[in-house]
Amino acid sequence: MIVTAMIRFFVACLAGIVLTKQAEAHPHIFVDGGVSFQLSGAAQLDALNVTWRYDAFGTLYLLSTYGLSLNTEGDLDKEDWQELIRRRSDWPANFRGSTHLTVNGAPVALDRPTDFEARLVDGRLEVTFVRPLKTPVDIQGAEAEVAFYEATYFYAFSVTDTPQLIGDTVDCAAEVALFTPAAKDAELLVTLAKLGREETSGLRNVGSNFADRIVLTCG
Amino acid sequence: MRITRAFLLLVAVALAIYLSMDINAIALWAAEQQRSFQNQMAGAVRLLKAGDPGAYSALLGATLAYGFVHALGPGHGKYLIGGVGLGTSVPAVRLLGIAMISSLAQALWAILLVFGGFALLQATASQVTFLAESVLAPVSYLAIASVGLILIWRGLHAIVQPKAPAHSHSECSCHAHGPDPSEVAAVQSVRDVVVLVASIAVRPCTGAVFMPVIAWQMDIKLAGAVAVIVMGLGTAALTSLVAVSSIAARSAVGPIRAGLFYLSSAQVIAGAVILLSSLSLLGFAT
Repeated sequence: MIVTAMIRFFVACLAGIVLTKQAEAHPHIFVDGGVSFQLSGAAQLDALNVTWRYDAFGTLYLLSTYGLSLNTEGDLDKEDWQELIRRRSDWPANFRGSTHLTVNGAPVALDRPTDFEARLVDGRLEVTFVRPLKTPVDIQGAEAEVAFYEATYFYAFSVTDTPQLIGDTVDCAAEVALFTPAAKDAELLVTLAKLGREETSGLRNVGSNFADRIVLTCG
Repeated sequence: MRITRAFLLLVAVALAIYLSMDINAIALWAAEQQRSFQNQMAGAVRLLKAGDPGAYSALLGATLAYGFVHALGPGHGKYLIGGVGLGTSVPAVRLLGIAMISSLAQALWAILLVFGGFALLQATASQVTFLAESVLAPVSYLAIASVGLILIWRGLHAIVQPKAPAHSHSECSCHAHGPDPSEVAAVQSVRDVVVLVASIAVRPCTGAVFMPVIAWQMDIKLAGAVAVIVMGLGTAALTSLVAVSSIAARSAVGPIRAGLFYLSSAQVIAGAVILLSSLSLLGFAT
């Protein structure tokens, strides 16, 4: 009786977990990089230039998932580069690109990536691409912020590159604000542990609270 | 009085282990180390592909270290091994064996899953990773939670309904009749051992999945398989440490001959710690 009940409980829990993808998650692939800003006019933000640099082991894994392999020179063959760029720039419809732009706290929509490029740097895959804003935004006197994180936390993003201002940059300045966990803050740790389960309604915006971010101010 | 003291000490040790394992600083340090060893593994794989003879030892050295520091992170049955060591009177050698076998079984299962999945089912790397991360991980945590429940159940059962003696002691008056406390000890049967090993081994860690995925693609399959087994040895080293420490802690607080109530209660507490830790990994509790 008890055994049957336990088995039922077990199966029900399992089904629930698999369906809601609530499994515990911790980062497996580390991505360094950053975001630069394309500006025009007085203070109009047109696009973001994004750089992702995967860790060396993650690079090999990613290449493998695309059915690609390094040659004996530690590089990709020419046709493999084309295949990589084709696969890497083909984003699922619901993928936001781990680059979350807000202006004065309001989310700003970005277009799908353009100008996709990829290279290997010391065994690490580096990809760069441009995300034009769907509608350019005047950020004079406003604060634009890019949070650099991925919702599922399978990939851990860190801002390591200094943000550049491209174009007319009279009065603008960009600053990196790195996330620094306070090792003894129990509540923070609990929330961090839940970062992988961002789908949970109560935790919808948690990921952004723990991301590295870049703040752009003009005027 | 002595038993009460020993009991309280045991609770304190269990609590200390539980709390210390949760400290984020260790996890962050382990993640950093893991990242560094991961990079060394990648470098060795590239050299291996380029035909460098020294690459093999570099790869195995890095994967051994990776397996050890990775096991500091969530999973791998540390709570289970530690809890069973503290809460039951399982012999040291048996617990050590369970720790070793579960880590090696986990490694072999990862190889089987990836190579078997690729060769027989034409699975993609993403599918295998999803299976390990989103299906087998919760299966493992639930299985471990069930072991916790069983320990609680057995402990409570022993407290509420002490067993009648199985044999007669009429010929001796050296001790009072009653259940032999050692009978409370779990992990007596082969079935118990298999359940413990399987609950840990069913979930291959992601690093152990990545390695054979890469090795398959780069056509260094044998090196990849050996590397995963060595990674399992690194993990086994850490879980063995947990096994030995938990038994050392148990021996320090009280001899096995302590009373039935003490042993049963310890088992209930160990079960509860195992249950809570696996549920927190599942996200049901904090």
